[in-house]
Amino acid sequence: MEIHKILFVTKFEELWFDAVESLMDLRKASLNHVVFLNVIQREKVALRRGKGYQKSEEVRLREMANIRFINWAETLFERGLEVGAYIVVGSLVKQITTAIEKEGIDLVVVGHEKKGRIERLYSSSEILEIIRRSQTPVLVYKYAPDNTIASNKPFDRPLLATCFSDTDKKAIDYLKNLNQVIKKVTIVNVADPKTLKNGSAMGVQKTRKDIRHKLDELCDIFIAAGIDASPGVYVGNPGKEIVTAAKECNASMVVAGTSSQPSLKEKLVGNTPRFLAEKTGFPTLLIPPVQ
Amino acid sequence: MSKKVLVVDDDPDVRLFNVTVVEENGYTPIEARDGEEGLKLVKSERPDLVILDVLMPRQSGIRLYRELKTDNSLKHIQVILLSGIAKKTFLRSQKALTEFGGESIPEPEIYLEKPVEPEELSAAINQFLG
Repeated sequence: MEIHKILFVTKFEELWFDAVESLMDLRKASLNHVVFLNVIQREKVALRRGKGYQKSEEVRLREMANIRFINWAETLFERGLEVGAYIVVGSLVKQITTAIEKEGIDLVVVGHEKKGRIERLYSSSEILEIIRRSQTPVLVYKYAPDNTIASNKPFDRPLLATCFSDTDKKAIDYLKNLNQVIKKVTIVNVADPKTLKNGSAMGVQKTRKDIRHKLDELCDIFIAAGIDASPGVYVGNPGKEIVTAAKECNASMVVAGTSSQPSLKEKLVGNTPRFLAEKTGFPTLLIPPVQ
Repeated sequence: MSKKVLVVDDDPDVRLFNVTVVEENGYTPIEARDGEEGLKLVKSERPDLVILDVLMPRQSGIRLYRELKTDNSLKHIQVILLSGIAKKTFLRSQKALTEFGGESIPEPEIYLEKPVEPEELSAAINQFLG
């Protein structure tokens, strides 16, 4: 699967044009169309006692978004890219999935707001819901605390977190098509400490060797596609260890598969893709589950 | 039978405005919400004039204009560009597409920047169809 068309979803508070600029490297692959989407939340224009539907507020918000999109579109049009824009009122998930369907989107880019705990949980649930409904990869973009962009070239040195699932194979297929853009991939598996606890030193070493061998096989797929790749075996909490690995290999982005039905384990110990999307400073590319 | 004018714009308010001006001038309006739908209607309805927005979902006016002007059976159809996107951006984008291996195409004869007055749009329409 190639990335021809991206959907860039912004509320303007959390995602700016510098994020679009940082994705222009994807033109070396096959990017030729950017679609902007601004969803005006219903609450901002909803019926209010004594005021009715806030039509004038809706017009104001639409025109503010339109002015920004025209500026952004002009920059991209002048570079020969195709650009489209939607400014709509409604629910975020519904409007994103509608735009994905209408446009045939290959990658959705969303921002991550610094929110309170409950809002953050809701926000991540929305992202996972978009992935499940649309079967389209979602890149969750991040800004550093000083509001500079977290990564100038997110696809430069991705870290792929794998548990050797079918979704991971899908992630590999997705990434290996980007050999014009990706310089190096680090493939990491985080082993569960419980699987090592009762083993002898020899048993632990054997587990590590087996994992390493599987990772080498995945690296070979990338190397055959012309992308440098190296493996990494970690032990512990998956989310935290993936972040450690990403720091150690100077990753530009973390890539992780998602599951269609959160497993009992995920419910008990937490969902790793959600953790990566909301708690880490790395841009996170979430791959939809295999149906 | 009156001449047909295809109005291509994703904004329903702008479409309504354009359609009203077209009707008031005695022509038959046809509506499309984006470039893709616009191209289909150009081929099926063969309008005499297209009033075309630039920034739209699915296919922009930049691509539709290019499709019209590079198709021998469609290039005679007159086009008025009506957009919030600046004319110089439109011209630069066409230049960039030509540099990427596309065919060189003529500049639009009329490029109006939104918003327009009804008289201005009427005059532009009648310049081609009057």
